[in-house]
Amino acid sequence: MSRQLKVLLASAALAASTAISTGSSEAADLKVAFFASSAQNGFNQAVYKGIQTKAKELGVEVAIYDGQFDAAKQYSQIEDVLAGGKFDAFIVVPNDTVGIAGAVEQVGKAGKPLATALFPIGPDLTKLEPQVPGVTVTVASSPAAGAAVQAGTVVDYCKAIDPCNVVILIGQKIYPFDNLRYETYLKVLGGQKNIKVVATGEGNYDPDKSLTVMTDILQANKKINVVLSNADQHLVGAEIALTNAGYKVSDLFLSGGGAASIAIDAIREGRWKNTLAYYPVSMGSLALEAVVNKLKAKPGPTVIDMDKVGPLPAVIDKDVLDKHPEFKGEWAQ
Amino acid sequence: MADTSTSPLTASRRFGPGSFTPLQVFRSYAVAVMILLLMTALSLMSDSFLTTQNLINILNQNAPLAIMAAAMTLVIICGGFDLSVGAGFSVAAVSAAWIALHVSPTLGLALAPLVGLVLGVINGLIITKLRLHSFLATLATGLMFRGIAILISSGKLIAVRMPEFTWLGRDKIGPVYIAVLVMIAFAIVLMVLLNRTTLGRKILAVGGNEEAAILSGIRTSRIKILAFAITGLAAGLAAAISVSRVSMGQPTAGAGLELDAIAAVIIGGTSIYGGRGAIWRSLAGVFMLALINNGFNILNADPFFKDFTTGFIIVVAVAISAIGR
Repeated sequence: MSRQLKVLLASAALAASTAISTGSSEAADLKVAFFASSAQNGFNQAVYKGIQTKAKELGVEVAIYDGQFDAAKQYSQIEDVLAGGKFDAFIVVPNDTVGIAGAVEQVGKAGKPLATALFPIGPDLTKLEPQVPGVTVTVASSPAAGAAVQAGTVVDYCKAIDPCNVVILIGQKIYPFDNLRYETYLKVLGGQKNIKVVATGEGNYDPDKSLTVMTDILQANKKINVVLSNADQHLVGAEIALTNAGYKVSDLFLSGGGAASIAIDAIREGRWKNTLAYYPVSMGSLALEAVVNKLKAKPGPTVIDMDKVGPLPAVIDKDVLDKHPEFKGEWAQ
Repeated sequence: MADTSTSPLTASRRFGPGSFTPLQVFRSYAVAVMILLLMTALSLMSDSFLTTQNLINILNQNAPLAIMAAAMTLVIICGGFDLSVGAGFSVAAVSAAWIALHVSPTLGLALAPLVGLVLGVINGLIITKLRLHSFLATLATGLMFRGIAILISSGKLIAVRMPEFTWLGRDKIGPVYIAVLVMIAFAIVLMVLLNRTTLGRKILAVGGNEEAAILSGIRTSRIKILAFAITGLAAGLAAAISVSRVSMGQPTAGAGLELDAIAAVIIGGTSIYGGRGAIWRSLAGVFMLALINNGFNILNADPFFKDFTTGFIIVVAVAISAIGR
């Protein structure tokens, strides 16, 4: 292949990828880059859907960057896009809430607004107020506060049961946010004498892995009252394991997290009891609105607490859904 | 020609005086020794371990990995690697779910192995026609396959809540899960293929000394394509079981399964350099990895120690098989 042809092909490929990633609207004055923790993840896609919808409404151009669940990759992407100078504002779903701070500070120094969605950026995961220079607004809910409320529903359920045997399925304990949730669960449940956490498993946000770990846990623990998890994906697997083991899941207390559509269906059908609400589409929409307001020098908050501004309460159960029959969940899982 | 001992039966026939020293026998069955030690330890630590139900569960949970590892054995004996099986698994999984949802659940399950087969043939053709090393070629095709899975599913989960779709992953015949029976049948077919057919001998010959195999008139390219095709078929079959079990297909499914499968094959004692190995060894490797996971779950042990323990046991197993080599 001749050198000219190679250059031509490379240029065409670059031009095509630029067109795909930045969209084709030349009329838009403002451009916002969205750094997904992973573009192939349902939650991130729902956040992007919210960003796109609001961007269309405001006449803003947006592009998505795929962090591939890799903190270093996401850090580099932010640096590269900032150096490219094509974008006016940034929205990040961080892979690493602490390590990403360096890149965020560079964005701040360049005078560009940045919104962090899902998690705060900084050393303290419980604090939604911006902790590092460069964060304009945090659009998230506190992992600890949500976990405490969720565990509180377990305490209420267990009041008349002694012992009340609880299985906790957590994502991965190596993730700081999962560890924080797990410690919060233990703290809340540990204060009740009748509640016994009989086992903890890692579901890794995978129904199949959750099925395996729950099946094994049920071998060692014959009597279960509650399955408490931070992710609806885990309950999908746990439900299959419980059914295989002869449990009628509607007789148990299954509590998940995410408010995925599959969880909303399960709660409506009475199979699960509740899910900790996450509203990724609303989150994306609010994040975009916040950075655009900043660019237009309009006043705005530095914290948007999704537990307070979401369309439904922080914990969604059947009573809540009965009052909101139109609600389907903002993401598929 | 490399050592072609491929089954306990074959090996035991050679245990005549002067054929094998006790050390060699110990080395040859390192994985079996490790399994026995693990099972003894777990039985002492938990009453829940050595129960029929738990052992059935272990087999059922690991049937997809066992199918993939059994097929991967052929590729490794052939002197290659297939790093794309995890991605092939995800293509087959989302294809099965998509077809189940839009056409027919039975057709979805039936086509998943065929999807895997096609991907395996593509791998084989790329490796033999372009003369690429299988490690590099399947690393690249793995990325392509993962991209295809994302395109099919639009990156989203495809939920299939239909009873006609879940029988393969969840139903039993008597006390045994259908998935386990499928795994046993598949493993037997591969054992017969490797140990009792001309094709099996050719696979061993290609991995043992490819040049000699070519000079002997063996069409090595065809053998390699076939080995990769079987591995692809296995990934599709495993995906059908897995997607049926959780009644949903997702593009992230199967991530890391290729390394689990390769680890199981190597732990079992199949030579990483090709030319020597056995299907039963890979199944034993899968069982050993499964015991570690099961033990941690049953004992409610801190998962922080699981990776360390798994790695440590792999090192011990591989070290035993390397003693005196």
